[in-house]
Amino acid sequence: MSSRVTLIINGKEVTVEAGTRVIEAAKQAGTEIPHFCYHPKLKPDANCRMCLVEIEKVPKLQTSCSTPVAEGMVVTTESEKVVEAQKGVMAFLLGNHPLDCPECDQGGECQLQDFAHQYGAMTSPFGETKRTFEKTYFGPLIEKEMNRCVSCLRCVRYCDEVIGSNSLGSMNRGAMHEVGAFANHELECEFCGGCIQICPVGALTSRLSMFDYRTWQLNKTDTVCNYCGDGCSLTLETVQEDVKRVSSEAGTGRNTGDLCSRGFFGYSAINHESRLSRPLLRGDGGDLEVTWEWAYQKTVDGLKGIVEAHGAKAVGGIISAQCTNEEVYLFQKLMRETVGTPHIDSGARYGYINAVSALTQVFGTARLTHYEDILASDCLLVFAGEMTETNPITALKVKEAIRQNKAKLITVSPYRSKRETYISHLPHLAHQHLQIRVGTENTAILGLTKAILEKSPASEMPEALLSKVQSAVSNISFSEIETVTGISEQQFVDAGTLFSEAKQGVMIVGRSVLRGNDGYQSMLRIAELAILSGQVGRPGTGILALSKESNAFGAIEMGGTPEFLPGFQETSEAEKGYTVIEMIDAAARGEIKALYLVGENPLRSIPQKKVAAALENLEFLICQDLYSTETTALAHIVLPATSYAEKSGRFTNHEGETQKLRQAIDPLGNAKPDWQIFSTLINKMKTEDKIPYQKLLGHSSVDVVWKEAVMAMPPGWPVLSNEGISAQISSYAADADIRWTLPEPSPQGEGFDLQVGQSLFHAGKMSTYASGLTTLLDSPVLLMNPEDAERLEIEDGELVQLSAEGEQVMVQLPVKASKKIAEGTLFVPEHFSLNVKTLLPLTLDATTGVPYGDHGRVSLSKVRVTA
Amino acid sequence: MPKYEQILFNNMSKAGYTGSLKEYEAVGGYTAFKKVLKEYSSSDVIDIVKKSGLRGRGGAGFPAGLKWSFIPKDHVGPRYLCCNADESEPGTYKDRQLMEFDPHQMLEGMAICCYAIGAQTAYIYIRGEFDLGAEILENAIQEAYKAKLVGKDLFGSGFNLDIYVHRGAGAYICGEETALLESLEGKRGKPRIKPPFPAINGLYQEPTVINNVETLANVPYIINKGPEWFRTIGTEKSPGTKVFSVSGHVKKPGNYELPLGIPLREIIYDVAGGILGDKQLKAVIPGGASAPMMPPDQLDTPMDFDSVAAVGSMLGSAAITVMDEDTCIVWAAMNLMEFFYHESCGQCTPCREGSGWILQILRRIEGGEGRHSDLDQLLELCTRIGGRTVCAFGDAEIGPILSTIKHFRSEYERHIEEKGCPFHPNATLSMAH
Repeated sequence: MSSRVTLIINGKEVTVEAGTRVIEAAKQAGTEIPHFCYHPKLKPDANCRMCLVEIEKVPKLQTSCSTPVAEGMVVTTESEKVVEAQKGVMAFLLGNHPLDCPECDQGGECQLQDFAHQYGAMTSPFGETKRTFEKTYFGPLIEKEMNRCVSCLRCVRYCDEVIGSNSLGSMNRGAMHEVGAFANHELECEFCGGCIQICPVGALTSRLSMFDYRTWQLNKTDTVCNYCGDGCSLTLETVQEDVKRVSSEAGTGRNTGDLCSRGFFGYSAINHESRLSRPLLRGDGGDLEVTWEWAYQKTVDGLKGIVEAHGAKAVGGIISAQCTNEEVYLFQKLMRETVGTPHIDSGARYGYINAVSALTQVFGTARLTHYEDILASDCLLVFAGEMTETNPITALKVKEAIRQNKAKLITVSPYRSKRETYISHLPHLAHQHLQIRVGTENTAILGLTKAILEKSPASEMPEALLSKVQSAVSNISFSEIETVTGISEQQFVDAGTLFSEAKQGVMIVGRSVLRGNDGYQSMLRIAELAILSGQVGRPGTGILALSKESNAFGAIEMGGTPEFLPGFQETSEAEKGYTVIEMIDAAARGEIKALYLVGENPLRSIPQKKVAAALENLEFLICQDLYSTETTALAHIVLPATSYAEKSGRFTNHEGETQKLRQAIDPLGNAKPDWQIFSTLINKMKTEDKIPYQKLLGHSSVDVVWKEAVMAMPPGWPVLSNEGISAQISSYAADADIRWTLPEPSPQGEGFDLQVGQSLFHAGKMSTYASGLTTLLDSPVLLMNPEDAERLEIEDGELVQLSAEGEQVMVQLPVKASKKIAEGTLFVPEHFSLNVKTLLPLTLDATTGVPYGDHGRVSLSKVRVTA
Repeated sequence: MPKYEQILFNNMSKAGYTGSLKEYEAVGGYTAFKKVLKEYSSSDVIDIVKKSGLRGRGGAGFPAGLKWSFIPKDHVGPRYLCCNADESEPGTYKDRQLMEFDPHQMLEGMAICCYAIGAQTAYIYIRGEFDLGAEILENAIQEAYKAKLVGKDLFGSGFNLDIYVHRGAGAYICGEETALLESLEGKRGKPRIKPPFPAINGLYQEPTVINNVETLANVPYIINKGPEWFRTIGTEKSPGTKVFSVSGHVKKPGNYELPLGIPLREIIYDVAGGILGDKQLKAVIPGGASAPMMPPDQLDTPMDFDSVAAVGSMLGSAAITVMDEDTCIVWAAMNLMEFFYHESCGQCTPCREGSGWILQILRRIEGGEGRHSDLDQLLELCTRIGGRTVCAFGDAEIGPILSTIKHFRSEYERHIEEKGCPFHPNATLSMAH
C-alpha cells in the first residue's frame, strides 16, 4: 500500500498519496494553481514558472508542479509574494504575445486568456518592440504560430513521452526559442494531433478547420470512434450539422484522451459530398430517388417475394462490423426471425471471428484482457508488428507498459526492427524481435510452444492438454521450424523463457495471425501457449485479439455470425447458416436469390471475379450504405444509412468493453440510422400492408433496442470474471484435437513476398473520404526494403510493375523505401487499390471460412517510361 | 622566486616543461594516484579532501569532499565523474591554461576522484572552441592508457578507469552542471530541475560528480602533501590558491595563481601592474560576467569566497575584469546583457523573456532615448527574474544590472538627462546593436 501524507495548503489540511505533486494536492483540496507547462500526462518540466508557491521554511518560491508533497509541509498559493510572482510571469508571457485573440482558433479555451483574466495587468509594462516570428506550417495539417507560443514544451514532451514519435524539438535559444520539427526536418510524424490537443494556447492549431468556428459556438458530443477496435472516446465538436473538429479530454475513456491521426483528422468523411442521402430504386430507366415509404415497401415486397417463391433460405444478409450492437441485434432478428433465414454474417468474418471462436472454445469467453492488464504486465508477447498502424492506441498502451513498468516486449512479425525516423514501430522497441518470414506466424507459435514445453511448462496446465500438446510437437524439430520461419531454436528458447517466466505476461494478436492462413487454428495454439506459460486467468495476463473494425466483438456477440446467436450461444450444426463466402458461392449457383448488404462491399473485400458474377446473379440485392460503392452500383435498392456521428448506440471494442455512441448531428439528407431501418422493416414485414405508416415506426429509441437485446441474452451473460476459465480449460483439454502441420517453406531468391495491410493514416475505405487523411496519403505506395531498392536501382516514387504466376493482371505502383520492410518483402496499403489483391492467392479457413488473401509471392519489374 | 606559493602553475613555470607524461612523472606526477590505490580506501580519500577544505573552483565554491561524499555508497550500477572544462564565463581563461600546459595534473586528480567515488568512467566536457586543449587532453589520455595509468585493473588493484573527452558545441549554458549532463547525453543543453541533484541522479540517471578542472587539478597535491599543508595557503574558509584571470584595463593582464584571500587591490595594483595609462579605476567585475560589479571603495576586499560574497558580489570563477574611469557603465552593462540575451537557453519564462526586455531598455538608454521610469522598470524586471528560474543563469544575468544601478545610478541618470552617452557621444540605438 502506498503511504499517505498530510500537508497544509492555504491553511487547509489535505491528505494525499505520497509522491503527489503540490499542484495536484492543491487541486484535490479545491485550489487551482495557475500553470502552463504542467500537464497530468507529462513529467514535470517546471519551465513556465507560473505555478510558483510559497513553502514554509524554504526561502525561494518553489514550482508546485515539480515539488512532491512532504509530511507537515505548509504551502501558501495565494500570498502577496506568490501572486506578485505569477503576475510577473504573466507580464513576461503577454509581453511578446501578439494579443490576436479575435482571430485565434484557441480563443475561448486558451489558458493564457484565462490566466490573463486573473493575473494579467491591464497594460503591458513593456514599451519596446515585440519579438516576432513568421507564421509557418507543420506539414499539411498543423499551423504553427510561434508568436502565441509560451514555450511550455508540452507538445514536444507529449510527442516524446506519450507517443514516442520524437518528432518535435526546441529550436534556437533564449527569446528566439521556438518549437519545431526536430532538427528542422519536414514534419513526417504520426499526425496524431496530440500536439494540437495539448497546446495550452493557440501556437499549434489544426489547419483542417482554420477560422471555421469560434470555440464557444461548438456543441460537444461525447461518443466513440469508429475507425478501429481500440474503442477510443472522442468528442465531436459541431456547429449545426457540421463536425468542425474532434477532441478527447485528457484522461477520459479507454484511450485516456490520446488519439491517432484517424481519430483526430478523420472526421470529414462524415459529411463527404459522395454520401448517399436518399433511397434509390434501380430500374431499367436508371436510378430513381424515392421516398422512404416507397423504398420500405419495395424492400418488403422484394424479400417477401423471394421467400414465397424460393423459401426463406434463399435470403442472406451481411452486416458491417462498424454497425452498432443494436443494429447487429436487429439485423440478425430481421434475418433469423422475421425473414426466417439462418444466413447472416458480418464483417467479423474477415478475421475477428477466428479470435472470438477460438478463445470462447478454450476459455468460455473472449473477454480475457483489458488495457489495464497490458499496463500491469511485465512481459508482452505481440504477434502484431503492424500494431501502430492497425490499433494505434492499444500500441500506446504497450509503449506505456514498456516506459512505466519496464515491461519486456517480444514481437513476432515479418517486419524489421528498424523504424521510420518519426513513426513508432513496436518491433523497434522490442527486447526481442523474432523477424519471421511472411505468413509463418503459425509456425512461430509452434516454435514458442516447443521452447516453453521443453523448458518450463506451467504447473497448473491440465495433464490431458499437456500430453496432447507434447505429442503434437514431438515429431517436429526446431531445424524444420527454422527452415519455415527463419528463427533459430535459441531465439525461440530465449523468447519463450522470457515470456513464461514473466510475473504477468500478456499476448497480443493482430491481423497477421487473424487474417493469416489458418487463423482459427493459430488462435487455438495461442490459447494453448497462454495456458502452457501460465499467462492467463490472472490480472496482468491473457490474450488480446486486436480488432480492425470498431464493433467486430459486438457484431459477434450480438449474433451477427452464423455460428453464434446473441450472447455467444452456439448455433447447432443444423441451424447454422452460411458464412460470407458461402453466401457468395450460393448466390453464384443460384441457391441464394436475395442479399441484404449493410455497409458491406464484397467486391472490395473479396477481390475475385466470381463475386461480381454472384452478385449479378441475384434476383434482389439490397445495399444499405453511407457512400456509393462498386457494390451499390449493382443493387436493386440502395438505402442511405448514417455515419456514427448521426446516430446513437453501442460499440463493443476488442477488450469487450461496451461503450455508448451519442448522436452529434442530424442525419444527412434523408439518410436514416441502420437500426431505424431494421426496426421499421421488422414491423413492416410482420404486418399487413394497409396499416398506416406512422404506426409502424418500431422501436422508439436505440435504448429500447438495447434493452430488448439484453433481454435476449442467455443467463450468465456477459462473462466478465475469469473464475470459470479453469473449468472451461479442463473441458477443452478433454476434447482438444491438436495437430501441427508445417507449411511448405516459401521459395527464397527470385521474387518478393507481398503483403497488403493497413496504413497508419487510414482504416478501411471510410477514411479515404476524409480530406485530412487523404492529405497525408491519397494513393497506394509500394513500401520496399531500402537495400532491395538500392540493389535494383529503384528510386523513391519510381513506378514498378507487379505480377503473379498464373494471373493476367499486372499492377503498377510507385515505390517508397521504408526501413521497417524486410529484405525480399513488399508492403502495400489496402485502402485504395483493389487490383493488388487479385495478385494474391485466396484461401478459406477450414473451420471458420475466413477468407485469407493478405500475402503472396509476386515478381517485380521496373516500368520503362516511354516518351 | 615567486612571491606567492603556487601549486598548479609550479610545473608549467619551469623552463622547457611541455606537460608530457614523462615530464609530469619526473616531478612526482601520478605518485598520489598510486599511493591512493595502494594505501587508501575510497572514504579515506574523501576524508582527506574534506579536511583540506578544497572548495569548487568553477564558481559556486561548494566543498569538493562534501560533494563527493553525497554519492550513495550502496548504489548498484555505474557512477560517473564529469570534469567541467566548458570554461565559457566571459573573462575566464584559467582552465584552458591548466589543460594545455599540464594536462596530467588534472587527469591524475580525476583518477583519484573516480577512485574515491567508485566511478569507472569519467568524461571531460570541454568547450567546443578549445581545439588545442582537446587535442592535448586526447594525447595525454592516450599516454596514460599506454602507461597503464588509465585502463583496466590499474596496478593490480582491480580498479578500472576510462576517461573520454567530449567537446561541447558552443553554448554557455552547458557549463551549468545539469545542462552539461544533458548535452553529454546527446540532448539539447538545458538545465534540469533540482532536486534531484547529480550526486543522486546525474549522467544517464546515475550518481555523478561534476568538478571544475582547477578543483580536480588540486587533488594530487592534497593527497601528496596532506590537507594540513593545503590549509597553510589561503584563508581558513577558503584554503589553497586560486588562479585569477585578470583582464581589462590593467598593465599586465593574465592568469595569476595567488593565495585565496589576497586583497583585490593587491591583485590589480601589484600583481597586474596597475591601471593602464595610470588612470583611475571605476569598477571591477571580480568573478566573471555573472558576478555583480564592485566599486573602487571595495578594493580592499579579500578575494576569497565569503569576503566577496559579504560585499554583495561573488568570487565566481575569479575572472577579474578591470574598468577604468573612461568606461561607460551603461555600455558595459548592455554589453554583458548582450551576452546573456544570446546565451539564455530559453527554457524558463523569466530568463527567456526578461533578458530581451532588459537588453532593449539598456540599448535605448545608451542610445540616448532613456526615460526616467526605465531604472524602476529595470529593477522590477530583475526582481521578476531573480530566484525564479530553473537554474542560476537568471540570477547571473541580473547581477550586472542590479550592481551597476546600485553603485553607478548617477551614470544611468546622466545618460537619460543628457539624452545620450557621455562616453560615446555618437551612440545611437542602431549602434547598440
